[in-house]
Amino acid sequence: MANQPTTPNTEESGEAITRRKLLSWLTGMGVFGSVLVSAFSNFIFIKPRATYGQPNRFSVGKPDEYPAGSRMTLDARRICIVRDGDRMEAISTTCTHLGCIVATSETGFACPCHGSHYDQDGNVTGGPAPKRLPWFQVRLAPNGELEVDKDVEIEPGTYFNV
Amino acid sequence: MNNQTSVRPWTAFTELPGNVWRSIFRNPIPHSDLGRSATSFTNFFLHVQPVKVHRHSLRLTYTWGLGLISLFLFLILAVTGVLLMFYYVPSTTQAYDRMLDLRGTVAFGIFLRNMHRWSAHAMVAVVFLHMCRVFFTGAYKKPREFNWIIGVGLFLLTMFFSFTGYLLPWDQLAFWAITVGTSIASYAPIVGKDMKFILLGDSSVGQEALLRFYVLHVAVLPILVSLLIAVHFWRVRKDGGISRPPEEDEVFPAANTEPLALAAAASAVAQPVAPKLALKASLEKKLYGIQGIVRGPFTKIGNVPDRSVFSWPNLVLVELLVFLVTVAGVLIVSLYFNAPLEEPVNIMHPPNPAKAPWYFLGLQEMVSYSAFWGGIGIPTLEVIILLLAPYLDRKPGGVGTWFSRERLLANSLFMTFVVVNIILMIIGTFFRGPNWEFVSPW
Repeated sequence: MANQPTTPNTEESGEAITRRKLLSWLTGMGVFGSVLVSAFSNFIFIKPRATYGQPNRFSVGKPDEYPAGSRMTLDARRICIVRDGDRMEAISTTCTHLGCIVATSETGFACPCHGSHYDQDGNVTGGPAPKRLPWFQVRLAPNGELEVDKDVEIEPGTYFNV
Repeated sequence: MNNQTSVRPWTAFTELPGNVWRSIFRNPIPHSDLGRSATSFTNFFLHVQPVKVHRHSLRLTYTWGLGLISLFLFLILAVTGVLLMFYYVPSTTQAYDRMLDLRGTVAFGIFLRNMHRWSAHAMVAVVFLHMCRVFFTGAYKKPREFNWIIGVGLFLLTMFFSFTGYLLPWDQLAFWAITVGTSIASYAPIVGKDMKFILLGDSSVGQEALLRFYVLHVAVLPILVSLLIAVHFWRVRKDGGISRPPEEDEVFPAANTEPLALAAAASAVAQPVAPKLALKASLEKKLYGIQGIVRGPFTKIGNVPDRSVFSWPNLVLVELLVFLVTVAGVLIVSLYFNAPLEEPVNIMHPPNPAKAPWYFLGLQEMVSYSAFWGGIGIPTLEVIILLLAPYLDRKPGGVGTWFSRERLLANSLFMTFVVVNIILMIIGTFFRGPNWEFVSPW
């Protein structure tokens, strides 16, 4: 240790990494990284894992409650249950433009907010809506009631057969 | 032991209350220039201001006091906001009833709500006008580029502040304005859906959204805005005060160089040889050595006419006047006009048309053509252009005068931006009826 010759410090002038440079770089990255990680973890924190509002999967009653040829809107659930003979479907009534509730009209659906129009199957027929109204999965729960899952969008034209 | 320093107890009493007063206010009401400068730097609240201020900065027709009015509106909002918090509950079942209570039972409740609402409207307008003033006078140019950016940030935060406040009364307008607003956010590419979900805490506007907006409105945004205001003011000082036209006899023009280079230039004039030594000497000896640390024009050293006046009382009186006018304006409007409150939230029936507050109606009008371009694309472009403006428009000329001819192009572009947005707002406000169809207001 003591008898090692002390070499003149030539590295300072060049590109070479000195111990001091490396340590300050590591410290800097450590601090910066921690800030990034804690900022990011805040986003994880505020993105709720459980929501306290309405569940997205819910029962809408027995199929018999919907007579053939009926179109029933459940505004609180923001869906419209359509029954055509034995075929049933659940169409969203949330306007794809900016989230207002569409009302049923003679030709299908109409939005009161910015004037979007949809046909009976939810295809856009006018207004600023960029997309059709989605269809949601309908299933028969073990207790014989229909169950709609708004987390699962299905291909329009895919019916649930009673 | 030492008779000279011992004080008889009753003599100490006779000094009351003068000695208490003097311990609080270190300076008596000044009657000399020395006293006037001491007043500015011995008082916490006054030391934000410079000891002396340029006459040009005090001219009403240059600034119209818009920055000051913004600050005072923010203070009014903070005070009335804290008072309203004593009676408000961020709950979907209680919030609306609390609004009714403010009307019916709380002493001054309706008046405080009026003050809060109208000040908020005014603040959005005044902050925007302040931005226009800064642009049309070219005040965002070097060395004030970054303060312009902070200003744009403050403008956006003011809008977001107002947006979060809109939900809190939990009336129909609140619910549907936020439903539409957050749906616009969800059109943002990649992060849009997550942004909406994080903002609402749920898939639709409900209790979680109300709580989140409340926390943003009363805690997060006030802290952010206060911090940015502090930085904004500090930079105004460090960038050499409020912008003004260059003067012919000014020793060192404001815009061009770094502080040390300035000092070096000064010393190079004195001693062309050995500039490093001269620099050191100038920093140690010369009066302006210490001023070399401060950017911007040098304060005068006697060889140019002094166009500045003492902040106490000149600036302080102007500020007091603007404060009084602002408060009086808010009070008068709040006495005569009540803040609107619509029906309680009905999730089944959106009002038709569902309109946002006036300053978002330009946005809503654009959104009715295309949700992505009107709500995300064009606004984002506008903000980016605003942020880049001081870095693109780099000609130093035309600073300090309204609508300078040197800045005809930049001013015309900005004026177009302002006029187009105002026209969109007017269309959205007066010419849109049920189903957002075109109606005539006459």
